[in-house]
Amino acid sequence: MLDLFIKTVTQGLIYALLSYGIYITYKILDFPDLTVDGSFPLGAAVTAVLITNGVNPYLTLVIAMAIGAVAGLCTGIIHVKLHVRDLLAGIITMTALFSINLQIAGANMSLLGSDTIFSLLPLGDMGLIYRKLLVSFVLVLIFKFVLDLYFKTKNGLLLRGTGDNENVITTLAIDSGNMKILGLVIANAFVALCGAIVCQEQRAFSATMGTGQMVFGLAAVIIGTTLFKRFSFVKGTTCAVMGSIIYKTCIQAALSAGLPANLLKLITAVLFLLILIVGSIGHKGEARS
Amino acid sequence: MIELQNVSKIYNQGDITEMCLFDNFSLTIPDGQFLSVVGSNGSGKTSLLNIICGSIPIEKGKVIIGGKDITKVPEYKRYRTIGRVYQNPAMGTCPSFTILENMSLADNKNKRFGLTSGVNKKRIDYYRSELASLGLGLEDKLDVKVGSLSGGQRQAMALLMSTLTPLEFLILDEHTAALDPKTAEIIMELTDKIVKEKKLTAVMVTHNLRYAVDYGDRIIMMHKGQVVLDKENGEKERTQVKDLLTIFNEISIECGN
Amino acid sequence: MKKTLAVIISVIMIMTLVFSACSKEDGESGEGATYKIGISQYAEHESLDNCRIGFIDGLKEAGLVEGEDFEIIYQNAGADDNMTLQIAQSLVSQNVDLLCGIATNSAIALYAEAEETDIPVVFTAISDPVQAKLDSGNVTGTSDKLPVEAQLKLIRALQPEAKTIGIIYTTSEPNSVSTIADYESLADQYGFTIEALGVTSQAEVTQAVDTLINKGIDCFSNLTDNNVVNVLPAILEMTNEAGIPVYGSEIEQVVKGCVASAGIDYYQLGIKTGMMAAQILTGEKEASEMPYETIEESETYINSDAAEALEIAIPAEILETATECSD
Repeated sequence: MLDLFIKTVTQGLIYALLSYGIYITYKILDFPDLTVDGSFPLGAAVTAVLITNGVNPYLTLVIAMAIGAVAGLCTGIIHVKLHVRDLLAGIITMTALFSINLQIAGANMSLLGSDTIFSLLPLGDMGLIYRKLLVSFVLVLIFKFVLDLYFKTKNGLLLRGTGDNENVITTLAIDSGNMKILGLVIANAFVALCGAIVCQEQRAFSATMGTGQMVFGLAAVIIGTTLFKRFSFVKGTTCAVMGSIIYKTCIQAALSAGLPANLLKLITAVLFLLILIVGSIGHKGEARS
Repeated sequence: MIELQNVSKIYNQGDITEMCLFDNFSLTIPDGQFLSVVGSNGSGKTSLLNIICGSIPIEKGKVIIGGKDITKVPEYKRYRTIGRVYQNPAMGTCPSFTILENMSLADNKNKRFGLTSGVNKKRIDYYRSELASLGLGLEDKLDVKVGSLSGGQRQAMALLMSTLTPLEFLILDEHTAALDPKTAEIIMELTDKIVKEKKLTAVMVTHNLRYAVDYGDRIIMMHKGQVVLDKENGEKERTQVKDLLTIFNEISIECGN
Repeated sequence: MKKTLAVIISVIMIMTLVFSACSKEDGESGEGATYKIGISQYAEHESLDNCRIGFIDGLKEAGLVEGEDFEIIYQNAGADDNMTLQIAQSLVSQNVDLLCGIATNSAIALYAEAEETDIPVVFTAISDPVQAKLDSGNVTGTSDKLPVEAQLKLIRALQPEAKTIGIIYTTSEPNSVSTIADYESLADQYGFTIEALGVTSQAEVTQAVDTLINKGIDCFSNLTDNNVVNVLPAILEMTNEAGIPVYGSEIEQVVKGCVASAGIDYYQLGIKTGMMAAQILTGEKEASEMPYETIEESETYINSDAAEALEIAIPAEILETATECSD
């Protein structure tokens, strides 16, 4: 029981990295970025191929991030420079990535028997469950601090300002389009990182593993921000992490309760709706007081 | 100096709703001039500002600022020397940022937006004194989110932010229209003070004929993309609101209103 | 505002309760001689369902009684790759005695999760266990590698004049890719050329059918490719109109209207897997010592109605041994 709880939290933590990405595109830039469904398996494909070829699993994370960033760059350029609508720009990149991912990986891959970031750490005979928890916790924490710090820098202010009021950024003589591209680059680097770690965790790359990731990330971010926005000291990144853990816990609870997986999506949708309703009720209450 | 040379602006070109607003329009605004632009709706006042700032493209002609042809320069680059305040107070500030963050952002205009701290603590006293000059008590609310301020307070912030760093031109797009009369008065006086102190070249579009008469040193009235009245200096000083109203009415009758 | 917050917190608490209650219940029911077996199946799909039913019957055939000797916890990932790992985690945490993975993705997730425990994993319906790296460790099972040669022989017997066989497959599916390679290496021997066309999703399949029909192929041959099999009725409608026979890869496809198939019986495959599982459960053998198995002999299935409609004569010696699938 405790093991399952730890595993579920670990899942939430790993996917929190994806939530960071969605937090940047959706919450900060107000950009519904469907690239995610393609850049997530992109990270997985890159890490799978590199590990199979004997590259250090940690190094593969860095490379996956860099390549994910390129995917974000593509969507950004398609949207900003070629003036394609945000949703469509993401769909175009996502579609292209489906083929690209298969070109990279060949076909679905199994990583069983290979070393991963979890197994490589010199932690003695610590069990895999705890290794996964530790590694994902440390990664999530490091990137949380990095992001929080970044959002406070001048450049971070610009990025947040671009989503908050693009017009202000333009009158500051800054090309807000470039800021959007930057946001997409950072976000998709995180998404690809998450894909790479998930691939190492479940030790398989599958071409369709990206399906629904954007929706998951949206749900996680919205759940997190809706539940915790009342507490002004809770940062957006923390909300993204909490949302991700809550989402994965709900799924695991439903699974453990013996609900058929085919119904899970429906349950997710209902849960999502409930949280949105509860959130908006809270909003009205705030407005009255 | 701002110069518009033979500018043509056609909306919805090639469409059934095609409308030629400016045809061979020219206007020169010398350095240091405070120009008020009045005119009925659809007369081309706001389009004039948008053409100067590059918010909308033009079909023909040239836009020259400070002797440089900027017709092809993208909007954001033009704001290096231009500050702009909009009619909607929400347009000029970032609502989810605190007052301090908004001031810091504006203070960094034309500098590098790198990875150093977004808020420079050493400048806080300076921001306080600037905010105090507005007389709205904002200097004590540095950590308050701008989104929770009133429209007047936000517009005052927007004006302050757009003129915080050195600039040459100030574009005011009906910036008092959405405010109550008292706040509008405060903002208008503040505007006049800033324009005079910083010796700016300013273009103000307004529906308030009294402001157009009371402030600035030149007044033009636009109608259907043309200047139908242009008075400066002594002539402008003799112009009164009722004179403007008379012309307004003549135009309106012409249009059958 | 506090109220809504309280509501949310209580919802989460209730869910956690349900969560723990469920697992506790499972923990308690694991008493006595009962073996607990967790089954993770990748998708709802007739062949895979047959595997599962066969697996349970295989356990019974080995002398175990459901309810007394073993109980099944069954979960289906609904073809969602992100569910396979969470299902695996859920099953492992319920202290099962054996895990059964049906189809590649589910089996890999089970093994990845069970690797550190001593829970043995048995898989079935995997074409290439070596590629899936499930050929060593505390894991064994059965492969559903298609009898390609038998299928080519069958097509040659039913269509002596045929030259080109069209095959549609999903490019991301390693099982399909390796089977295509088998087809291509054996085709010459039987005087065929293979016209293989890859798709990336189910939505592209019917278009691919049109493309191949236009190329003038003589027949279609199916793999066990989910994207293709899922839209089989639509494919058959198109091919029947064009008068082109389709050969299936297993019994269910022939039942649905394919002319014939030299395939494996997934139910039998399941039984074989179930019997292997029983050996592991009773301690007779260790999974790590058992190599994965394949079904050697292929079965021939025919659908006389479909054959008749397409004016295909079925030789008597095939009719003798084949299983009739038309109703």
